[in-house]
Amino acid sequence: MLKRALAIIFLLIIGYWLAQGLAGVPFGEDRMLVGQYYLDHVKGQTGAVNAVTAIVVNYRGFDTLGEVTVLFIASTGVGALLWRKKRERTAKTEGSMVLTTGTTLLFPFVVLFGAYIFIHGHLTPGGGFPGGATIATAFLLLYMAFITYEIPHKAFEKTEGIVGMAYVLVGLIGLAIGGYFLYDWIWQDWKLGADNIGRLLSGGFIPIIYTIIGIKVGTELSGIIDNMLKEEVSE
Amino acid sequence: MGEASKISRYLYTVIVLFLIWLFLTASLDPQELAFGLILSLIVAALTYEIFTTNGLANLHPRRVAYAIAYVPYFLWAMIMANLDVAYRVLHPKRPINPGIVECKTVLKNEVGKLALANSITLTPGTITLDIDGDKYFIHWIDVKDDSVEGASKNITEPFEKFLKVIFG
Repeated sequence: MLKRALAIIFLLIIGYWLAQGLAGVPFGEDRMLVGQYYLDHVKGQTGAVNAVTAIVVNYRGFDTLGEVTVLFIASTGVGALLWRKKRERTAKTEGSMVLTTGTTLLFPFVVLFGAYIFIHGHLTPGGGFPGGATIATAFLLLYMAFITYEIPHKAFEKTEGIVGMAYVLVGLIGLAIGGYFLYDWIWQDWKLGADNIGRLLSGGFIPIIYTIIGIKVGTELSGIIDNMLKEEVSE
Repeated sequence: MGEASKISRYLYTVIVLFLIWLFLTASLDPQELAFGLILSLIVAALTYEIFTTNGLANLHPRRVAYAIAYVPYFLWAMIMANLDVAYRVLHPKRPINPGIVECKTVLKNEVGKLALANSITLTPGTITLDIDGDKYFIHWIDVKDDSVEGASKNITEPFEKFLKVIFG
């Protein structure tokens, strides 16, 4: 009983505190001046209608390059932690007819949907990260349905490396043309798509970078799935 | 049916993917169409080998017509099955007689079998538990006939007359 009373008094004190603190904030007023700046200038400065994407890829593109690097390190970490001399798929139960047929039927659609998500990053919610994750799901499906399936490792590793370099290359071209890393030369200098903001061919280099990120995330996550599903086998 | 040529399978995949793209974007903007075509060509090149074995033969007008006709037919079957199950649930005496029956299908194509299994599961009252070759094991809320022929006549045949044309 005493415990309960103490708890109630304690809660009341905390509540009073919070109410007191929040009473000083004017209601309904924008506290984030930088947010308003983005909303006011996003179309003119980046050509994208999706302000979130414009911030992630354009205003904070360097940060996104860091995020891609974090993912790369995570994938490398999984690979290093699970590394063994000889690893193979050890699943024993073959997928049922429904699962295998459904997978072969859905696989192209899932990949296409992933591509749809990352190519429309500057117009709709989504972008390279969810698009890439969707593509990786397609490969997860194949792993689940076919007990001997493995991704084409060589091709995936090469693609991953090439698109990773392509991201940096896009940044360096910006550095050469505009004077700083990840300068959006397609929008700022070429004015490509300036007359049709909101359609597919707009948004400067956002679709290009999101395509790069989508492919990179897709191949990387597929690699992680591959690492996690394989087990060590004795020779 | 043997395996169709690579070109036919590739083109079929491109066409299907492009149709899906049209549904996804819901737009006839030439920019969207161009990108949809490019992406369909790329994705199809990567995936056509596992996607289809019949290729363009799937787009035979008769098959497409049956596939389009199957949609309202299936929806009607689903509505009737829904009402039937609702009646059984609401009836005070609860007139159910559940059990697992075996059905035999005439379908040969794997995709056709998948469509049949999903059609059976989607209509309330029947659930496909397992498929083994041409045998379907189905849980039925009201077992009217537990012989293989009788159950097949009740459950699989109404769908099969469409599916065997669509999937061959």
